[in-house]
Amino acid sequence: MSGLKREGDPAHRLDALRGTTPPRPHDARAIAALAANPGCARRALMDGAGLDKDAAARHLGFPAPFGQSPFAITRGNAFEALVKADGCAELLRMLRELLRLPVAEVAYHDVENVGENADARSGAHLRHAHTRSLIDRAARGEDDAGTLYDHPLLALTIAGHTAFLEPDVVAFQLGGRFHIVEIKSFAVIDGQAEPSAAAAAARQAAVYVLALRTLLEELGHDPLRVSHDVVLVCPENFANRPVATLVDVRRQLAVLRRQLARMTTLDRLMAGLPEDLTFDLRPGEDGRPTRPVAELADAVRRTTARYAPDCLSTCDLCFFCRDEARQEGASDLLGRQVRDELGGVASVAEALGLADGSRDPAEGQEEIARLLRNAERLRRECLGSV
Amino acid sequence: MSDRLDELERRIDELRAGVRRAMRARDGGAARGLRAELRAAERAWDALVGGEQPEEPPARTAPLVTVREQVHQGLRLLGATAQPRLVVAVSEAFLGGTIRSAQLTSLRRDEERSFRSAPYGRPYYLCAALTDRLSPARGLLTLSAWPLERRVVGPLSPRVDFLTCAIAVAGREQGDPRAARLLLRMARNIPGATDGSLGPPDPDRVIAAARAELAVHAPRDTRDRAELARRAARQLDDVARLFGAATLSTIKKEYAT
Amino acid sequence: MSLLTSLARLRALDEGIAQPVATVRHCHLSARPMVFVPLRLSGEAAAPLAAMLGDDRDRPRLLVVPQPRNRDLRFAWAAELAGVLLPYVESFTADTETVERRGGDPYERALDAPQLVVPNTGGVAFTRLLGRSTRFRRADGPYPVPESVPLLGRWLTYFAERAAYPGSSLTLAATEELGRHWASGQSGLEDGNLASLVAWITEGPREEAEDPLVWPPAGPATDPGFDAEVLAPAIDSGSAERVTEALRTQLAPTWRLMWQALDLLAGLEPGASVAQRWEQDRASFSAMAESVAEGGPPQPRRDGAVAAAARLARMERAQAAYEVQRAYDDPLVMAEYRLTGEAFAGEVVETVPDNAEGEGRSRKLRPLVVIKTDDPVLLPPGTALGTPERRAQGGELVEAHEGLVTVKITKGMGRGKTAAPGTVPDVGERVCYTSLTGDFQGSPGLPDAEATPWTHGGPPQQYVPDDEDAQEEWS
Repeated sequence: MSGLKREGDPAHRLDALRGTTPPRPHDARAIAALAANPGCARRALMDGAGLDKDAAARHLGFPAPFGQSPFAITRGNAFEALVKADGCAELLRMLRELLRLPVAEVAYHDVENVGENADARSGAHLRHAHTRSLIDRAARGEDDAGTLYDHPLLALTIAGHTAFLEPDVVAFQLGGRFHIVEIKSFAVIDGQAEPSAAAAAARQAAVYVLALRTLLEELGHDPLRVSHDVVLVCPENFANRPVATLVDVRRQLAVLRRQLARMTTLDRLMAGLPEDLTFDLRPGEDGRPTRPVAELADAVRRTTARYAPDCLSTCDLCFFCRDEARQEGASDLLGRQVRDELGGVASVAEALGLADGSRDPAEGQEEIARLLRNAERLRRECLGSV
Repeated sequence: MSDRLDELERRIDELRAGVRRAMRARDGGAARGLRAELRAAERAWDALVGGEQPEEPPARTAPLVTVREQVHQGLRLLGATAQPRLVVAVSEAFLGGTIRSAQLTSLRRDEERSFRSAPYGRPYYLCAALTDRLSPARGLLTLSAWPLERRVVGPLSPRVDFLTCAIAVAGREQGDPRAARLLLRMARNIPGATDGSLGPPDPDRVIAAARAELAVHAPRDTRDRAELARRAARQLDDVARLFGAATLSTIKKEYAT
Repeated sequence: MSLLTSLARLRALDEGIAQPVATVRHCHLSARPMVFVPLRLSGEAAAPLAAMLGDDRDRPRLLVVPQPRNRDLRFAWAAELAGVLLPYVESFTADTETVERRGGDPYERALDAPQLVVPNTGGVAFTRLLGRSTRFRRADGPYPVPESVPLLGRWLTYFAERAAYPGSSLTLAATEELGRHWASGQSGLEDGNLASLVAWITEGPREEAEDPLVWPPAGPATDPGFDAEVLAPAIDSGSAERVTEALRTQLAPTWRLMWQALDLLAGLEPGASVAQRWEQDRASFSAMAESVAEGGPPQPRRDGAVAAAARLARMERAQAAYEVQRAYDDPLVMAEYRLTGEAFAGEVVETVPDNAEGEGRSRKLRPLVVIKTDDPVLLPPGTALGTPERRAQGGELVEAHEGLVTVKITKGMGRGKTAAPGTVPDVGERVCYTSLTGDFQGSPGLPDAEATPWTHGGPPQQYVPDDEDAQEEWS
C-alpha cells in the first residue's frame, strides 16, 4: 500500500462504509467464498470494506447458520500435527513418492517460530517479512535455501486492504518450483472424497497459490514458478494415514482472479450509493454494536443483493437476504432451477398472475406466459380443482 | 425421586438452550454463568440417578516416577531433541510411561521458573530446543545435560533427529505391541526401511536405512549446529542458553521495514 | 425439475402450504419398515456416534457409542447394530415363492423384503460408508471383530446401492420421497431439512424448523452448538448415561418426523406399477441373501471397468422404465409430457372400431380413434404411441390437426374380426396417448439384472479382500 488516502478515493469510501467497526481480516476461506456469488453487489461491498458480516448478521437479528463442531476442530488439528510430526516425516514420504523429491531435500523452516511472542499485528508483519526473506532466498536458488516452509504468512491485497493469510499449509520448493501443500482432515475413501469438501479445498488452495505468486512477483521473480498443481493431503479411508494427491487449481485461480479484479472496480458499485451510506455497527466500549438495528437494516437494503439458496452455505448474511427475498416475493427463493425455468419472471406474484391469466404478459414474456398457462391448466385438470 | 429427576431434566434442557442462545448471541458472560448452573444441575442429576458422585475416569495406577522424570527417561532413550508426542509414545512403549500430553503443556515454563529461582539446583532440566535465531523452538523438547550442538536445531535437524530417534527405537526390544506399532510408523517414513509388507519391520533393516539417509544429511547438519552452538555460547546468558532468547528485538533489527 | 413442478413451488410459496406433484404414491411402503436414523461424529468420515432405529414407532432402539474415539466401542456399536438389523433382514428370507422363468432354472423369491428408511441422502451416504468400513473386517486375525460386523457391512452396502437404483424401494430417504410427491415453497436445498419439509406439507413453513434447538438436524451431522455445549462435556464426564440421554434429545424428534413422513406417504394410494417394482426388489433381495448364504465375497471396493459399465447400463434402463411407469401411473406426472408435447389427452369424439388393413388371411383389425385435445401436440405422423388406459395396446399417430388427433390402434387387438368390447375406447371417454413407451411391464419371468450376484458372472475379477482390508484402522 502506498500514499495517503484522499477523500473520495475508493479505499476511503470503503473505510467509510465500515465506519468505526474494526476490520475483519480476510482468511483464505473468506477470500475463496468471494468467488461463490460474484454477482452480489452487497457482498462485494461488504467484503471490500472488510466488514465483519457475521457480527452484522447477528446485530440484524439474522445470525448465520454456521458453526464448527469442537470435534471437527480437534480432528483437524490432530491430523495436521500428525502430517507435520517429526520434521514432517509423513509429508516427506508422500512428497518423495508423489513428486520424487530427492532424499537430500529435507530442510525445514517453521515460520511460526518467528513473531510468536509479539502481538498479533506486529507478529504477522514479522512472520510475513520472514516468509519473504525465505522465499526470496529459495527463489534465488541459494545453497541453504531450504525445502519446506511451515506456516508461511502470505498476503493479498483485497480492494486496497492487505489481508494476511495464515495457512495451515506448507509451501515447498523443488528445483526452484514452488508448491502449496494443503492439509485437510476430510477422508479420501477408495480414491473418492466428498465433492463439496474437495472443491472447497481447491478454492482455498488457489488463494494461497495466488498469494505466493504475488509474493514472487513483488520480489522480482517469475510468478509462474508457483505451480498450479497443489498437493492436497487427506486421511486415507478410515485410518489416520495421510495420503497426498495433486490437484490442478487453474480453474479456481481464474475465477478468483476475476473476482478480485472486480473488487478493485468497487468504485463503480459505490458510484450509485448515497454519500453518507455506512454499514458501521458503532461498537461501544465493550465491542458490542450500538447502532439501531432498523437503521443498519435500512443501510444494508440500500445495496442490491443477489440471493440464491446457495448463499445458505457460504454467506454470513444469508438469512437476512433470504428474508428480504421473501418479503419481495422473489422467485430467487426457490433456487436457480426454478428461476431458469421461469426465464426472467422475477416475482412470484407475476409468475402466478401469468399462469392464471390474471396478468397480461409483457413484451418478451409471451412464450413463458403460454407455458405457464398451459401448466396451470394441466395442474387443475389433474388435481380436479376449479 | 423421579419427580426431582424430571424437574432436573427440564431445568437442564432450559439451561442448555439458554447457553446455546447466549453462545449464538456471542454473550460470553451470560453463557459462562448459565454453563456453571448447567454443570451444577448435571452433577445433581448424576448424583441422583446414580445414587453417588459421578465416577472419575478409571484412575491409572499412580505413577511411581514423576512426569518430569518420565520425560527425562524418554528423551535419554531417544538421544535427540524430539516432539512431546514422540516422547510420550516412547515412554509408553518402552518405559511403562503414564504421561498424558496435557501434563506437558506447562512443563517447560515450570522448568524455566525453577532454574531462575535456583540456577543449576537440579541435576537436569527439560528445555526447549533453540532455533536458528536462538529462540525457543515450538514444541521441541531437549535436555539441559546435552551439549549445545544437540540442543540447537538447524533446517536439517528435525530430519536428522527423527532418523536418530528411529535408530534408537529400532535398537530396543520390540516386546510391547505399542513398540512394534511405533517402529512401523517410523519405518514407513524412511526409504528402504520396510519391505513394503504390513508386517513388523526388521529392526536391523530400519537402522541400516536410517543410517544411510543420515549420512546424506549429517555433514551439513553438523556444520549448521556447530555454528549455531557457537553463536549461542557467545550471545546468550545461562537462562537463555537453556530456554531460548526472547528474539523479538533481534528479529526487529533484521527485518525492520 | 420441470415447469410444472416450478409452478407448484410458486403456488406453495404463495399459499403457504406444499402442493402435490403426484396423485399416487410411487414407492412401496413396507408394513414393517426399519426406520434408521444414524448420527456421525463431526469431523470424521464414518465414525458412528449413535443411531435410533426399529420397526415399531413406539419402541425405538437407541444405540450409542459412549466414547466415539474408542475404536473398540465403535465395533461394539456395529455389533449391536447388527444385532438389530440382521435378524430383521433375515426374517424375510424364510417365506419364498418359486418363480419359473423361460430358458432358465426356476428360482426362489422372497414374499416380502426388508425396507430401510433413512432421513435424507446424507443418511444413505453414511449407510454406504458404514458398510464400507465394516464389510472387509474379519472375525479372526490381527484385528478381530464380532462375526456379525462384516455381515452387517455387506447388508448396509447393499441397502446403500439399492438406494441409488431408480424405482427401488428397498431403501428410502424420507426427504427424497416426500419431495417426489409434494412441492414446498422453498428451494430444493432447503428441502433437505426433514423438519422443514414436513412442516411445509402439514401446516406450512415454520421458522423453528430451522432452529436446531427445537428441531435438531436429522443427521448424520449433528448441530455444532450441541456438540460444543452438550455432547463434549457429556463425553468428558465419562458417564455413558449422560451421553446417551444427550443423544436421545437429538434423535427423538427426528424419529417422530420419520414416522410422520411415512404416514404422509401412506395417505396416498400406490401407483399401478409399484407392486411390480417391489417384485423386482424382492428378487434382488433374494439374490443378495443367497449370495450371503453361499459364502460369497463382500462387494468390491470399486467396480472393475466392465462391471461399472454394466451397472451404468442397468441403471439407465431402470431409470427409463421408472420414468415411463410413473407417467403411466400418475396423470400429474404424465402432464409433464403433455406440457412438452410428448403426450396428449382429451375426449374421444369419433371411432372406427372395425377399420381393417390387408385382405383375406392377412386382414388385420386397425381401429381408428379421433381425440379432441387442448394439449399442444408436437408429435409427427407415424409416431408410435402407448396409452395408460390400455397398457397392452400400441398405436400410431395418423394425423393431428387443430386440436383433433387421429390414432390408429396397431397392437393388442387380438385376432378377432371385430373388436372385443372395451378394447376400443367409446365416444365420450377420456383417454391419453403418449410417445413415451417402453418396457413398463418389465419382464416378469426374469429376476432383475441388478439382482445377478457378482458370484454369478458379475464383475469379471472376483474381489478377494486381503489382510490390508481387515487391518485397515478405523480411527
